[in-house]
Amino acid sequence: MASDKEIIRTMQVNSEQGFRLLMAGYKEPLYWHIRRLVVNHADAQDAAQEAFVRIFRNFSQYNEENSFRAWLFRIATNEALRLIERRHNESVSIEGLSDILADSYVNYGDLEAVHLQKAILRLPAKQQLAFNLRYYDELSYEEIAEVAGSSAASAKMNYHLAKEKIIEYMQKNN
Amino acid sequence: MKQFDFEQVGKRMPYSVPDGFFDKLEADVMQKVNETSALPNRRKRALRIALPAAMAVAASVVLFFALKTTLPKNEAVDFESVELAFNNLSTEDQEYLLLVYEQDEFIYDLTDYELQFNNEEE
Repeated sequence: MASDKEIIRTMQVNSEQGFRLLMAGYKEPLYWHIRRLVVNHADAQDAAQEAFVRIFRNFSQYNEENSFRAWLFRIATNEALRLIERRHNESVSIEGLSDILADSYVNYGDLEAVHLQKAILRLPAKQQLAFNLRYYDELSYEEIAEVAGSSAASAKMNYHLAKEKIIEYMQKNN
Repeated sequence: MKQFDFEQVGKRMPYSVPDGFFDKLEADVMQKVNETSALPNRRKRALRIALPAAMAVAASVVLFFALKTTLPKNEAVDFESVELAFNNLSTEDQEYLLLVYEQDEFIYDLTDYELQFNNEEE
């Protein structure tokens, strides 16, 4: 996998070639990040497509002083949140829980994994985001802060609060 | 109560995707991206054609009025060279020039005014 610096340099010289490198390295992490937020596969697919197109169009706005990875996750997060908001306006669904039951691309046999996702989906948005970005994508607190538009200290606090709530939920439901 | 251990679940998720999904996602995104980046290229190409033509129109208008004011009044303006230059242009540029002429109110009104002025003089 190409490094972020390599992707950036290639994008600057040849946008299409650079974007292919970006897709190769980030299509899966960004899709899964969106999927964990929106739950439903079809929604995640739409939001991921839109996010990648936005990344391509807005590449010139990326500030090299900031983390490239955080910038990508920020765009993906915004796209996911936009879709969730749209869905909430269309129908009343509690934090995507009904989507877990409705989506055909969910393995209900893995009960522990299903419970963990349910626990995450019950968290307030900032805690959910901090937990997912730290636990699954291993972003630093500084990067999480860039994605969430908060401070690193607040990202750290949200992550630990989320972890405690998840442990509590899992112990009750296991 | 059984203690929950994150390490037992790890990064395992209950979610899955259809076979070949990520390849399709990449292909779809690349197609969208190529569609959007093709648009500005078409605009740039149109501009590359239109800009010299527009400059030529502006230059010929300026030249036309400059000649008209410097030449003796009863001397007819020689349009042969203008016609020749026009004929040497590509069909696309000729059409563009005519379009600019028709759409540009300033040139259009000014020419009308000149015609009217000449008629009154006669």
